[in-house]
Amino acid sequence: MTTLLSDTSAPIVAVGLERTFGSGERAIRAVDGVDLSVEPGEIFGFLGPNGAGKSTTVRMLTTLLRPTGGSAKVAGFDVATQSDEVRRSIGVALQDAAIDPLMTGAELLHLQAVLYGLPKADHTARVGELLERVGLSAAGDRRVGTYSGGMRRRLDLALALIHEPSVLFLDEPTTGLDPMSRMALWDEIRRLNNDGTTVLLTTQYLEEADQLADRVAIIDHGRIVSRGRPDELKAAVGAPTLFVAVDPAQVNTASEVLTRFGELRPTAEGTLGVGLAEGAAGVSAVVRALDDAGIGVHHLELNAPSLDDVFADATGHRLEGAS
Amino acid sequence: MSTATAQQLVALSKRSVQSILRQPSVVVPSMVFPLFFVALGTSSFGRAISIPGFPVVDSFLDFALAGSVVQGVLFGSITSATALATDIETGFFDRLLLTPSPRVGILVGRLAGAMVYGFAQTVFFVVVLLPFGLSIKSGVLGLIAMMVGGLLTALAVGAVMSAMALRTGSSEAVQGSFPLLFVLLFFSSAFFPRQTMDGIYRRIADLNPVSYLVEGFRSLTIGDLSTVAVAQTIAIPAAIAVGGLGISMRSLRRRVAAS
Repeated sequence: MTTLLSDTSAPIVAVGLERTFGSGERAIRAVDGVDLSVEPGEIFGFLGPNGAGKSTTVRMLTTLLRPTGGSAKVAGFDVATQSDEVRRSIGVALQDAAIDPLMTGAELLHLQAVLYGLPKADHTARVGELLERVGLSAAGDRRVGTYSGGMRRRLDLALALIHEPSVLFLDEPTTGLDPMSRMALWDEIRRLNNDGTTVLLTTQYLEEADQLADRVAIIDHGRIVSRGRPDELKAAVGAPTLFVAVDPAQVNTASEVLTRFGELRPTAEGTLGVGLAEGAAGVSAVVRALDDAGIGVHHLELNAPSLDDVFADATGHRLEGAS
Repeated sequence: MSTATAQQLVALSKRSVQSILRQPSVVVPSMVFPLFFVALGTSSFGRAISIPGFPVVDSFLDFALAGSVVQGVLFGSITSATALATDIETGFFDRLLLTPSPRVGILVGRLAGAMVYGFAQTVFFVVVLLPFGLSIKSGVLGLIAMMVGGLLTALAVGAVMSAMALRTGSSEAVQGSFPLLFVLLFFSSAFFPRQTMDGIYRRIADLNPVSYLVEGFRSLTIGDLSTVAVAQTIAIPAAIAVGGLGISMRSLRRRVAAS
């Protein structure tokens, strides 16, 4: 285990990370043996429902919470014994964007620059640059109390970037945001990542993990239940569904053709669905077979399994629609 | 202390002062209520100064100043402790813990804010009441001692209340101590001299540290400058501050370690 931790160049590594709250019979194991290895320059998505242990894991990796078991290294430093070094290397935007509403955006950034001990001569330039980067130049001198949710999150992100960290932790960066603000934040996260920042983000949104993450880990009840590239994970769940809309008169013929490629799946009326055993590669063969049978296709759609299917497969319950 | 650390503590202190100034709803009561008490006292009990046993004073106003200073500073200091608890509630505390700045910064910043405010309150009460006939018998040096006393009282109360903020992490709990401070204030010699009190009230006031705190300020207002009066005005809050800082530092360490 220790060799695993010391031999790696990965910016985030955790081995058997555990956190128990309370003791005795009432002890709750919020994080129960999490192993993680995040590669340099990747966006790693930590996906799970509320209370799954995402935030607790992030709090341990960012030195805010002491692990009760296992160990972790961030940016090459041990989170338990080298917490100061870890703090200097990471940027963190926590879940509720804890921003003092009585201060202005620019004041908060200035304070953050002082707290990280940046050279005083650079403060004004750095603050201006970050405000512009997150699109808050015009609002920089307004009190944060007047900001919208999206603006707060963007300021929170700017605060996390003040000392140009190489590793960025984002705990549910878009929870509660409207779709526009969410997409703006996604763009910013992608841009940061393109510039070489390693990002670990937690989310309860499948789409967010799907859109942003190079790899995801799905966590439930404090344990990682599944991990990998989103497309791999989805592929592992099973065949994608091919939906075909044909002339009502040709439905029966079409079903006969489709059964040759996989089992038929329930769909809306007027449409046929088949689980393609060969995956997306099988689509062309289906199209040729339908054409050979003289069937006119009105609509064709291949639906890959979603991360929700992955989640359901791994945990036995669905993430989406769950409160 | 390194320059960076000093800059960090200054920046956090500045933030605390700014946050007090930006909340008129907080500033106004702790500035206006004590003046209201003075006005009420002076107009209702003006002639009480001729009761046998009442200290020798020119006017009830001179007598009442000390009570209003301590009252104002006491209530003003709750503000800083409440703000500290709010920092914990909102997660701002975590944000500070995530930076490589010293852990003690958050406490120092809030207490510095309380001290600046306590100092300003003392000056404010004196300046506002001067045109109404207030006189400070101990002169400019006595006034300076009172301002230092106001600052130290703010530190003392702020430190004790901050310990509560750090223990509970709840701004409601801190504000819930407000009635307790009220009781401490009313069962002291803040509004009437101990000499004219009787029975149980007298015994409580005799035991209540707030009595001695107020009487320090009072002897500087109604009496000549004396070493004893200056020492009382400065040493009592300083002693409470030392104790309070000890408790709040321990609470801070405990909170940081518990996480």
